[in-house]
Amino acid sequence: MSDPLLKVQNLRIELTTHDGVVPVIDDLSFELAAQESISFVGESGCGKSMTALAIMGLLPEKIGRVASGSIIFDGEDLTQASEDRLREIRGNDISMIFQEPMTSLNPVYTVGEQIAEVLRAHQGLGQQAAWTMAEELLDAVRIPNAKRRVSDYPFQMSGGQRQRVMIAMALACKPKILIADEPTTALDVTVQAQIFDLLNDLRRQTGTSIIMITHDMGAVAEMSERMIVMYAGRGAEIGGVDEIIEKPLHPYTQGLIACVPHILATVSAERERLLEVPGIVPSLREFGKDQCLFASRCPVGTDICLQKRPPIETDPSGHSVACWHGKDAS
Amino acid sequence: MTQDSPQGAPLLQVENLGVRFAIKRGGLFGEKRYLYAVDDVSFSLKRGETLAIVGESGSGKTTTALAIARLVDAYTGRVRVAEQDVLGIEGEDLRQIRRKVQFIFQDPYSSLNPRQRAEDIVREPLQSLTETSSEDQQKIIDRLFASVGLRPEQKRLFPHQFSGGQRQRIGIARALATQPELIICDEPVSALDVAVQAQILNLLRDLQAEFGLTYLFISHDLGVVQHMCDSIAVMYMGRVVEYTDRRSLFNDPKHPYTTALLSAVPSIDKKRRAEMKRISIHGDPPDPLAPQKGCHFANRCPMATDTCQQSQPALTDKGNGHMVACHLVT
Repeated sequence: MSDPLLKVQNLRIELTTHDGVVPVIDDLSFELAAQESISFVGESGCGKSMTALAIMGLLPEKIGRVASGSIIFDGEDLTQASEDRLREIRGNDISMIFQEPMTSLNPVYTVGEQIAEVLRAHQGLGQQAAWTMAEELLDAVRIPNAKRRVSDYPFQMSGGQRQRVMIAMALACKPKILIADEPTTALDVTVQAQIFDLLNDLRRQTGTSIIMITHDMGAVAEMSERMIVMYAGRGAEIGGVDEIIEKPLHPYTQGLIACVPHILATVSAERERLLEVPGIVPSLREFGKDQCLFASRCPVGTDICLQKRPPIETDPSGHSVACWHGKDAS
Repeated sequence: MTQDSPQGAPLLQVENLGVRFAIKRGGLFGEKRYLYAVDDVSFSLKRGETLAIVGESGSGKTTTALAIARLVDAYTGRVRVAEQDVLGIEGEDLRQIRRKVQFIFQDPYSSLNPRQRAEDIVREPLQSLTETSSEDQQKIIDRLFASVGLRPEQKRLFPHQFSGGQRQRIGIARALATQPELIICDEPVSALDVAVQAQILNLLRDLQAEFGLTYLFISHDLGVVQHMCDSIAVMYMGRVVEYTDRRSLFNDPKHPYTTALLSAVPSIDKKRRAEMKRISIHGDPPDPLAPQKGCHFANRCPMATDTCQQSQPALTDKGNGHMVACHLVT
């Protein structure tokens, strides 16, 4: 394989909080190939969305900054790029869809106008051309009767349709990377299935890479080839989705998979007790300590976990894990 | 099937329940129109068991539960809890019923009074619904805090000092305070992180085993429902479309909507994904203000025939108490 489309190396993002400067992303490295789909998994507060914002160059102003490391997109380091260059990249090359489709659309403009605006700003299309293109895009994301619906306001659409509008907007400039931050959390399960099908079809047709952020292992299994399990700002485990689901090495990954009552093909009378991951994600104050941050919740933790941060070990197949006891699991 | 047991009538009996909301239309002299949120819903629930109501947003799950708890008014039907009529009673009788039926809400952030200490939140139903002496109240509170896994010193804290999972524990303790016969859990874990979900689900099951609790469990997460319930009612557009015990529903779903719903759930089970072809249902539910005369699901159903467009199917027993409302299921 040639150079990956996106290469994040030793990324460290620091936030300034009341308790001082904390690393919300701490030494994260991963690669994304063209047309690949990768998922970030983990609980809230583990740095999934922060990673996405860093790639987009949208870290909260004055509070957040990239302290070290690089984000190489298509040979260009985004951490060094100017604000103007980043604005060019956003929308054109990398775009994003958000969790809540209602709050991310402007309620006082028609959806057609909002899609057309992207096209005018980024592609320099004229008024009429942009509008026609908006119609085509709505049709491409399978909104029935796109010609008429293009003049609708967001409130006239259902949640699933709004998310389709967001997708149409994100895909307007044929980006190379689409970041989907919990794209279906606010939607019903049948609508979620429609959105997943749509994203998969669009990926096949346009060759866009997808970075998905989610906490649902089932969604990961349906959507992605590889996954990154995040815990407290650090990559806990990275590898192929099937491989990790079958044989998770990090105790946190094992917990994440086992603690959810997954729907089964056949139901029998007995029900096993769910495995619990006790406690909650540590507070930001704990981030950055030289120890395994999962140790306090870990069923196999030992003294070394509290003394030193575990190194990332990668096996020949590219499955890496940051755990002192990761080997024991296999 | 939850039919009458030898010990007597079921704890909860709902017959032909209907809830409608008046819609203002056409000004002062406009015709009064109604939205039928719950339409002809019947089910029963045995003591010590769990009945789940599943369905997409807007299907009437929560409204059904609210009507049972007398938090919205039903316009027709009958609800009996422990052989006592719930609808139509007032005053002291209603207060007695409120003691017997308690609610666990979805959002642990907005369902606790931010100005009350944790112990006072749990004490409130004891004060307003029972005649317990303050000494006994304290004993009950101490016991409940231990039962739901909170430490004694946390009694004096305010809600904002707790995590989401801990808040939900307070909500559960409050619901248990009056030793209710029926506990309605309205999406009790959907606002929580995955790892915390498992803690709360296990707690609910432990409490059920310990105190013989009866749950009416509302959820849109079919994995959670599969884990928690003994019988299930699937709702669509205010009506029950399928109602049976846990194993029959998941192993042999009969209604096309149930089948589609189950197939839409993303799964980590490779075998299930391969076996289960996704039955996609298109579009969104129809406008509840303009109900069709036939089956409500007909316009999205992959198998609908002319009969389905013309007449509404009744919920009938298709063998062994497996109740289905579909013309095509024999």
